[in-house]
Amino acid sequence: MTRREAVNRRRGVLLVAPTVLALGTLTVYPGVWVLWLSLQHRIPIFGVSRFAGLDNYAFLAIDSRFASAAATTIIFTVTSVALEVVLGVAAALAIHAQRGGRRVALSLLLLAWAMPAVVTAKLFEWLYHPTAGLLNVALGGHALNWLGDPHLALPAVILADVWRTMPFVAVLCYARLLAIPAELYEAAQVDGAGRLATLVLITLPMLARILLVAILFRALDALRAFDLMFVLTGGGPAGTTETITVYAYRVLFQTLQLGFGSALGVVVFVLVMAVAWAYLRLLRTSAVTA
Amino acid sequence: MRSRPQRAPRALGALLVWLLALGGCAGRPEGEPVTLVFKYARILGRADPLPGLLRAFEAAHPGVRVKGEALPWTSDDQHQLYVINLEGRSPGFDVMMLDCIWVPEFARAGWLLDLTAHLRPDELVPYFASAVTAGTYDGRVWALPWNMNVGLLYYRTDLLARHGLRPPETHAELVAGVRQIRAAERDPALEGYLWQGKQYEGLVVNVLEAFWANGTRLLGEDGTILPEPARAADALRFLRGLIEANVSPAWTTAADEELTRRAFGDGHAIFLRNWPYAMELFEAPGSAVRGKVAFTSLPGRARGAAGAGSTGGAHLAVSRRSRHPELAVALARHLTSQPAQRAIALGAALSPTRRDLYHDPELVRAHPGMPRLDGLMLMGRPRPVTPAYLLVSSTVQPEFSAALVGVKSPERAIADARARLGYFLEAIR
Repeated sequence: MTRREAVNRRRGVLLVAPTVLALGTLTVYPGVWVLWLSLQHRIPIFGVSRFAGLDNYAFLAIDSRFASAAATTIIFTVTSVALEVVLGVAAALAIHAQRGGRRVALSLLLLAWAMPAVVTAKLFEWLYHPTAGLLNVALGGHALNWLGDPHLALPAVILADVWRTMPFVAVLCYARLLAIPAELYEAAQVDGAGRLATLVLITLPMLARILLVAILFRALDALRAFDLMFVLTGGGPAGTTETITVYAYRVLFQTLQLGFGSALGVVVFVLVMAVAWAYLRLLRTSAVTA
Repeated sequence: MRSRPQRAPRALGALLVWLLALGGCAGRPEGEPVTLVFKYARILGRADPLPGLLRAFEAAHPGVRVKGEALPWTSDDQHQLYVINLEGRSPGFDVMMLDCIWVPEFARAGWLLDLTAHLRPDELVPYFASAVTAGTYDGRVWALPWNMNVGLLYYRTDLLARHGLRPPETHAELVAGVRQIRAAERDPALEGYLWQGKQYEGLVVNVLEAFWANGTRLLGEDGTILPEPARAADALRFLRGLIEANVSPAWTTAADEELTRRAFGDGHAIFLRNWPYAMELFEAPGSAVRGKVAFTSLPGRARGAAGAGSTGGAHLAVSRRSRHPELAVALARHLTSQPAQRAIALGAALSPTRRDLYHDPELVRAHPGMPRLDGLMLMGRPRPVTPAYLLVSSTVQPEFSAALVGVKSPERAIADARARLGYFLEAIR
């Protein structure tokens, strides 16, 4: 190492130090603390505080409520993100193809996304109202028990989530669509490619990278989904809409079982990290092959 | 420059002496105004009587200022706010309004001032016994009952009269009445019996009432969990049966108090289980059911054994870390006093916890149903009084809900609830 490199290096360390320090105190320290809590039986109100080893995790392994919450979380994530991507791309293409009113369309789309989740949940609570809700009135005589039927409640929550966050995907895709050079389309036209071929062979591949980013963001959000189901159904009926984060909230904040609740938190953390890591790898390989 | 490091400790020392002196003279140096902080949920109604009551306390205690601070809107958020602040050991409030189900929990955690020694021996006699029970834990009194609720059966007097029916005393009569009236009325929008079956605290309340009507309970005298599982399963089967037989609508499984109150208030149901607050709204000008509603006790299993409604309500407790415990107790006592409760009952739709107010001429003029409510409050039963109540409730909610929507058999739901509760309660014994 030359002298200059050494100086640069030292300066680099110095410059990165505040960030490392901030991240360390704000995320690593609490993170380690939660991990430590998860290895204990800790219920302050009852004066319970003793080392538990892996007890909390062992209980999670046989806990049917956790299994149900994990399944709900995964179904919710996969379905809502898939629908958001399909509808988001469709909406972006539709706006892109428009001649006028693009700005109005975009603003309307963003309106849904800008609304706080709790407001959206309240809105959908009225839409799903069993007797006076718009959805049931539109369905005529076939009133559906949207939030009280164990087979309908999760789809109802997913629908609300898709409505709320599809615009995020749409806006990202729309921005990418604007950046695709017109020559590509002209060349395709010269080659005699039809509309479908242009879409499949040019537009969608050009959207692939931005979609991977959008999916990553949305999947990480969906894995931690909380507010919509908390307000709409409280996790019911029969726990069919209870995600892991809702379960963790009940355990941690309502019943104050800090040890067991922390174990749940650690599981959510591991799940989210695993997905993020897998995605980043995928992004890297796709970057190499692209 | 050299003297600087020495100056700081000296200043600190002076500050410390001053602070010690402050703490030493029982918290109130001459002329120093005292501020008490009172945490409460905003009272809805014609006029919030609270500010006036707080000013009256200040007038009676010169040099004391009372700051009323509003709690968050939902019960979950209120509980969370209390827990974080009380566990953090610097609560920043002296008197707090508590949902009655939190009193044993907070008492057990050591957050509340034991009021037993501050009370005169007969001071709690004028209150409803079930409200006093809810504020008592481990033989000590931790909170004063402030307002109260009890589960009631509302019915449509016009519909019952038209079909020659009397208010139902038993579950069987209620079901038969629903069938008869709906068959004759031929109104597809008219539901039978509305109650709360959404997966939340209200569901536990409704199931408890069904348990009691069936002669069983959630926690036995000695703390056993669901001591008679067969009877408990029977009660769940009855509730599920109401939905299956369409006596109660399918959406009961998503129904909370307001959803059912609105449907009944729009004239779309014959019977409704709800709290006393609903009466005021049914009798409001412009209500579709004005003058057509009355309430009675919840149906029982057999004639002559009316069902007990679950009680709820708010209590006032004093933080153990209050710097002015005597004044804080005085404030809690002032707010739960007879005049204060009368003012609250007049200004807002909240029911008092003192029995004599239910026969107070001024109040009865404003709320003609009050004498009737007295008997029903008297019959009411509190939910299990245990510091682990929220743990118990949040554990049984999904199980009860599963039985109501038919995902689990009632027996299975009860067995699962017992197993899970057993595991969690074992950890805190």
